[in-house]
Amino acid sequence: MVSLDAGELTTRELNRKIKDLAEKGDAEIVITNPAAKHNVAVGVRNKCSISIEGSVGYYAASQLDGPEITIDGNAGWALGENLMSGKISLSRSAGASVAASMRGGEIFIGGSSGARAGIGMKGGTLIVGGDSGFLTGFMMQKGRIIVCGDLGDAAGDSMYEGTIYVGGEVGSLGADAMFDEITEDELIGLWNELEQKGITEKPKFRKIISEKKLYHYDTLERLERTLI
Amino acid sequence: MVTGSNQIWAPWTVDDIHSKADLGRYRIRGMSTHQKVTHFDDLTFLSTGLTRFPLEGYKEQCNTQVELGGLNASNPLVIDTPIYITGMSWGALSANAKTALGKGASMVGTASCTGDGGMLPAEREVSDKLIYQVLPSRYGSNPNHMATAQAIEIVVGQGAKPGTGGLLMGVKVKDEVAISRDLPPGVDQRSPARHPDWLGPDDLAIKIEQLREATDWKVPIHVKLGACRVKNDVKLAAKAGADAIVIDSMVAGTGASAEILLDHSGIPTVPAIVLAREALKEIGLYRKVSLIASGGIRSGADVAKALALGADACAIGIAALIALNCNRDIPEADFEKEIGLPAGACNRCHTGKCPVGIATQDPELVKRLDPDEGAERVANFLNSMTMELALLTRSLGKGDVKSLEPEDLAALTIEASAMAQIPLVGTEKVFGM
Repeated sequence: MVSLDAGELTTRELNRKIKDLAEKGDAEIVITNPAAKHNVAVGVRNKCSISIEGSVGYYAASQLDGPEITIDGNAGWALGENLMSGKISLSRSAGASVAASMRGGEIFIGGSSGARAGIGMKGGTLIVGGDSGFLTGFMMQKGRIIVCGDLGDAAGDSMYEGTIYVGGEVGSLGADAMFDEITEDELIGLWNELEQKGITEKPKFRKIISEKKLYHYDTLERLERTLI
Repeated sequence: MVTGSNQIWAPWTVDDIHSKADLGRYRIRGMSTHQKVTHFDDLTFLSTGLTRFPLEGYKEQCNTQVELGGLNASNPLVIDTPIYITGMSWGALSANAKTALGKGASMVGTASCTGDGGMLPAEREVSDKLIYQVLPSRYGSNPNHMATAQAIEIVVGQGAKPGTGGLLMGVKVKDEVAISRDLPPGVDQRSPARHPDWLGPDDLAIKIEQLREATDWKVPIHVKLGACRVKNDVKLAAKAGADAIVIDSMVAGTGASAEILLDHSGIPTVPAIVLAREALKEIGLYRKVSLIASGGIRSGADVAKALALGADACAIGIAALIALNCNRDIPEADFEKEIGLPAGACNRCHTGKCPVGIATQDPELVKRLDPDEGAERVANFLNSMTMELALLTRSLGKGDVKSLEPEDLAALTIEASAMAQIPLVGTEKVFGM
């Protein structure tokens, strides 16, 4: 295990050291004193374990492929942006755009998440133990968002595919989003998944999917009609 | 009595209303605006005479190599000609077209750019210098791909349709394209206009730092802007930390756009360059932050004029596609039958029925474009433009394209004088100053 004091390093030095250690394989890294710095643990593309002791700023643990990261604190905007694979676990709350354009892996938020959680999501799973803000799942393409608490307005607006599960109230559905039936097996599966995260409550989840009414333009031009 | 044709209710206006009455929505097409705007043809060079000596036009050395984005990157983008291929997506274009563009660019020592569909492996393979775009959609976005790029370009806006996102009609979202973009096959893809993870310029500064960290501060970070509120946008992008700014004007091309945006938003290339230059000067970053012009660049003369106005390089899109045979009546194609328009007038890129295999995902049509032959044509065209540029530069008595300056130019119209901020021919007057 290697400990890095973020307070003693510039962001550039810190990320360079993390990458150097990760590239050697199976590194276990502890980062102390992150002091809400932006861009901590960005662009790590090797399997490794990183434990961050404290809150982080924007873009923490973003552009990753492989690492498992735990953060004991809060996070600013765009935690886990573009995650390809690996796991991120945040003990408290995340700002806006958590898991933006995430493509794989898993992100767990112990507290609540801000606006636009899972925006443009393309795969993987985002779990929020608390509430999630407006436009959660905006233009989501694939993957799952599981929110144990409430959702803000415009949930699932313009989503293409993927699923949002919500345990609490929904402010409003966004354009082209709809509630769908949830099966008993799905519900039990979600509860089991949450139990592994230490969440023992069993919310009566509802399921939001795309209504798919915005998939196509309704009409084509005269010339196009003869062609398509 | 006034005679002649009706200017307000012209035949194309009548047809436009008929079409919208049939359609019930805005119209879509490819190519670029139909507006007639001030362009590079409204400027002329003041070549040498007795006041300056020319260099030997056909032989004497003239440097065309430029370095872009050297402000923060340890490996700036160095290209042998100040012309590169702009971002055009695999999806809008066929894989053969993307491969031909990348290979053709490499043959002359310049760069190509990915576009709104992620990085096509074949394009990466043949491209010595590849610019990786980071767009609001983030289709195919992959840090492993980004790490192989020679520059990163954050797309804030596109000149053909500023203030909105990309558009790819379902007929072109075939299985492979859909997988690459994580979209349902056949969906009419309307990309987001806003980035998912940042909103304003303060956030952009952090985003730029993130991309630097992800790429170890090695490669330049470009910011591409649709030319509208140029002065403020350029200042904000530069302040946010961009190494290079691409200013994409209203005459820039597209594979698909709402027609109303093509024709009624943005500003032309000439004033866009001048405003961007002045903005960088005002904040002390001119020639430190690189300035790249795009939109309607057709020849070496256009490049020379853009450089003289203040750009460091130009990016081309439609011109490169025309070099690939866009709108050419090749033997395999029957434009009238297949697209309903004659070769030379086609702007139906969005229908996916491109008769020359460029703007299509139809396997039979794609076969009409041989990527190796296409690469040769692109390389020839880039070489031709570079030779034209060097010829003009030498005729001005200069041995380096970086020495071109506004003083080398005169305006042929009052409007061009005002927009380019250079004197009207036959006068010493700069209009609008």
